[in-house]
Amino acid sequence: MTVAEKKHRIIEPDSLIGKRIAKMDAPEKASGRTRYIHDINLSGQLHGKILRSARIHALIKSIDTSAAKALPGVHIVITGADIPDQRPIGVAKDHFPLKVGRVRSERDEIAAVAAESEEIAEAALKLIKVEYEDLPVIGKPEDAIEPDAILIHPEPHGADGTHLHLKQGTSIAHKGKPDNIAMRFDYAHGDVAQGEAESDVVLEDTFKLHYVTHCCMGVSGMIAEFDASGNVLMYSNTQVPFLHKREFAEYLNIDPARIRIIQPPIGGGFGSKLDIYPFEVICLYLARAAKRPVKMLFTREEEFLASPTRQPVLLTLRSGCRKDGTLTFRQVHTLHDNGAYTSWGATTPFVMMQTFSSLYRVPHCDYHTAAVYTNNPYAGSFRGYGNLQATFAIEQHMDMLAQSIGMDPLEFRMKNAQDAGEVTGQGMSFKSCGFKECIRTAAQRSDFSHKFGENQANQKAPGTIKRGIGMASMLHVGGGAKIYPSDGCGTILKMDDFANVTLITGASEIGQGSETVLSQLVCEELGLPISAVTVVNNDTAITPWDVGVHASRTTFIAGNSAIGAAKKAKAKILAVAGKKFEIAEDYLDLRGGFVIKADSGEAVIELSKLLRNLHFQDKAELVMTTFYYEPPSVHQDKGFKGDVSAAYAWGTQVVEVEVDTETGNVKLVKVTGAHDVGRVLNRLGIEGQIEGGIVMGQGYAFTEDLMIENGHMKNPNFRDYKLVTAPEIPEMDVAFIESMDGEGPQGAKGVGEAPAICMAAAAANAIANATGIRLFELPFTPEKVYRALHGQTPKLYWKPWKAE
Amino acid sequence: MTELKHYFAPTSLDQAVECLKDGDVTILAGGTDLTPQSQAGRIKFKHTLMNIRHIPQLSGITLEGDEIRIGALTTITEIMEHPLVKQHLPALVEACDHFASDQIRNAGTIGGNICNASPAGDTLIPLLVLDARVELASMPEDKLYRHSMPLSTFFVGPGKTRKSLCELVTCVRIPVPGAGHVSRFYKHGTRPALDISTISIGVAGNYRDGVLSQVRVAFGAVAPTPLRAELTEQALEGRRLDAAAIENAAAIARDEVNPIDDVRASAWYRKEMIHNMTKRVLENVSA
Repeated sequence: MTVAEKKHRIIEPDSLIGKRIAKMDAPEKASGRTRYIHDINLSGQLHGKILRSARIHALIKSIDTSAAKALPGVHIVITGADIPDQRPIGVAKDHFPLKVGRVRSERDEIAAVAAESEEIAEAALKLIKVEYEDLPVIGKPEDAIEPDAILIHPEPHGADGTHLHLKQGTSIAHKGKPDNIAMRFDYAHGDVAQGEAESDVVLEDTFKLHYVTHCCMGVSGMIAEFDASGNVLMYSNTQVPFLHKREFAEYLNIDPARIRIIQPPIGGGFGSKLDIYPFEVICLYLARAAKRPVKMLFTREEEFLASPTRQPVLLTLRSGCRKDGTLTFRQVHTLHDNGAYTSWGATTPFVMMQTFSSLYRVPHCDYHTAAVYTNNPYAGSFRGYGNLQATFAIEQHMDMLAQSIGMDPLEFRMKNAQDAGEVTGQGMSFKSCGFKECIRTAAQRSDFSHKFGENQANQKAPGTIKRGIGMASMLHVGGGAKIYPSDGCGTILKMDDFANVTLITGASEIGQGSETVLSQLVCEELGLPISAVTVVNNDTAITPWDVGVHASRTTFIAGNSAIGAAKKAKAKILAVAGKKFEIAEDYLDLRGGFVIKADSGEAVIELSKLLRNLHFQDKAELVMTTFYYEPPSVHQDKGFKGDVSAAYAWGTQVVEVEVDTETGNVKLVKVTGAHDVGRVLNRLGIEGQIEGGIVMGQGYAFTEDLMIENGHMKNPNFRDYKLVTAPEIPEMDVAFIESMDGEGPQGAKGVGEAPAICMAAAAANAIANATGIRLFELPFTPEKVYRALHGQTPKLYWKPWKAE
Repeated sequence: MTELKHYFAPTSLDQAVECLKDGDVTILAGGTDLTPQSQAGRIKFKHTLMNIRHIPQLSGITLEGDEIRIGALTTITEIMEHPLVKQHLPALVEACDHFASDQIRNAGTIGGNICNASPAGDTLIPLLVLDARVELASMPEDKLYRHSMPLSTFFVGPGKTRKSLCELVTCVRIPVPGAGHVSRFYKHGTRPALDISTISIGVAGNYRDGVLSQVRVAFGAVAPTPLRAELTEQALEGRRLDAAAIENAAAIARDEVNPIDDVRASAWYRKEMIHNMTKRVLENVSA
């Protein structure tokens, strides 16, 4: 290329937004090269194993670890008594990592071993002798609120009646709890009595939502190491490194500055890694005592037994409407089975109440939850965070209300759906809102109305296979959620002499594709190909603060943060170029690796050359920028009112099924989805996320069931805990509604949780459309469906109850 | 960490049965049951672990006279893809097609499936209705001794068979069905793949002019062992397969089985499925 040609080179406009871009980590993962925590081994490392309770609910009378300690190859054996400075962990600080005096569930940690090998550690566990005295078991949340129910967390007193070290704080683990109510939520707007008085139709039904769990392909694990100065290095799969850094410091009673968390590639999160669990703190105790790195990895059975679950819920919904199809009120009472200890599951009402109060226009709403202690597994956060449960009830009632006033279910929904600009009774402000377009699009693409009528007419016709179609919609935070003092994310961006970018972000990659989307957003600003970016996102000693991967917030919050840093870099580059070439910087832009003239696209200088010029001069400079993005959302007030997210995501899914009335088998034939995602950034990524979410919702609706009987888990394995397998995955047709959110990065909103939310509700509606039978309890296994079809399912009813 | 002391990989049947003489041997073939069961603590390894996979006499599918011989080491995949089996034993192909996953089918063997003696064992139901005999080898003195018994008498309880600790299953032998022979297998579970039967049904017999004779019916996962349903067979034997006969047989089948409640289904549902699906299978035969 001659000098003259170079001068007049025109760089055509191009954009990465909306393109199909393969995830940056895909080649490594697909070829089996990714090094998960399983693949990391430190020299001198020991292997940790945990002894769990042999009883569901019992006093620990004695623990004898002498034989385990004597086993060759065993370095450390610890029990609660060996850690006098144990601090309570969890959302309500209601348990110790190593249980003291009492076990309250099957998974309870009693002792731990660090040994030369996993096999030796396992053998040592078998040598630990524990004497128990059994206590009555609370296996159902209804039983926990009976007046004479045994207390799960009475004032602690150990086997020797002293345990003086327990009296150091005021948390539940120290002082006990006078009842079995772990947490309660009460919300209201309007006046439900007035709403009910204005109703032509009132329905009341009870819904029952079961235990399921995340089933991450990568089981839980951690490596902990203390250096000679007492600094801690943890290889951890956490989704929230910065909050956990602080929390771990508290549990170890050290300065948070001494803790460094490195996240190896994480084999699935889905919310499961949002809390600190006993094994992590125990691993730290072992490493501290052994003065050696300790690695702890769950077995698959342990992953079932001791990782969190989705929140099981018993829910009674009362709702009404007028004959003209206007919703009048909703009243909701739920009983959350908290399990033995409190994790994030107890706080799912935060999200559930948004659906109760604000999915469709609801003038009057009243909602109460009590999360009660039982001896069951304890629930954590899980993709959708209570919204699957809430939507299951709400969207079935939408169909039932429509039916009871003789209105088409589609028309009924459209009549009550919100538009952009509305503020709900809970104070959520819908600045962008594609709700009606979601409903309309999903209905049109699936031919909903025609099929709905045809199936209904066919219910009583001969034949054993009945077709059904059902719809459900959802509302979920899509612009972060202001729960913590900050909902922000920091970015550090540096450019090298060759115009490559290192994007250092606080946002963790847990397989959701954040690295790729963030790189895209940066490249879009800087006019670079995606191959120009290296992402650093997994080391608290390097990356700036982020609140964590939750609430579908990463694209929105970390995306805006990355754009902010990129814009600052761009401004600096254009200022330098403007000065150098005596062109006003407003007339310049970045495109295709060049500084160009904005109007003509004419190349002014190669970006890498400009950066080198900047660097290698007398007043040498680099392009390095930082940005911290805080969304313009607000904290809720004490009544849970306020615009907690900067944007809200909407979605409608239409489910088509074939019900075999002779077996109860329900075949999921097709799912048609329409999701308001603000804007599609990475089309390949978002399709994958929606499809994956649909399958996760399908498992929740049809096959997955963690069976707990009196605190005992009956199926901690993939043989009897049934994930959806490839042949069951339905045809999917997913449309994206681009409402171009004004605050979103390039207009996008968060969508990580959204696709899993509607499936169970839509499936229930589809089965009702096929058979005329309504199912109030998940999952829709063949037997459950068959029983309902043959009148063998007693009507479920839980009398509304709220804590005094 | 285990009581396992020796590993032995014989290359002939003689070596294998000689090793079995002292009875303190765990036999390894495909390992698809042994591995999970030993890890879960349901099976304790004996003194010796004997890997029988290098014994040529235990492999292969051959036509021997009017019998098809399937060696004990034959994998589920090999059975499913073998021309002889495809031609003569469609119900067995159907069962293999619903057997676990590809990975398990590539490793799991028919001998293992028989010796595991699960009431829900997928190949056992078609083998029962196909009148399979199981052949056993042992070395009571210094000589190889073989005998065989009908598979229908082989099972005594969940995981329990009439095979002694000194015996090795070498093959199954299945009479080549004649003209007019029909066979069906139906498996019911919560998903189409990777599932353990809630119930399974096998039906076979000679079907001519709308009449079923030489009837064999077997049910899986409804009794302590895979069950030959003799009362159901009698109800069908020599009868014209019309709607009344089918309904009658299905009702008898429902009463003949004795299932339990477990994590996969209730006894009530299993009985309902035996009724409904026996009907469906018989309707399919008569269609």
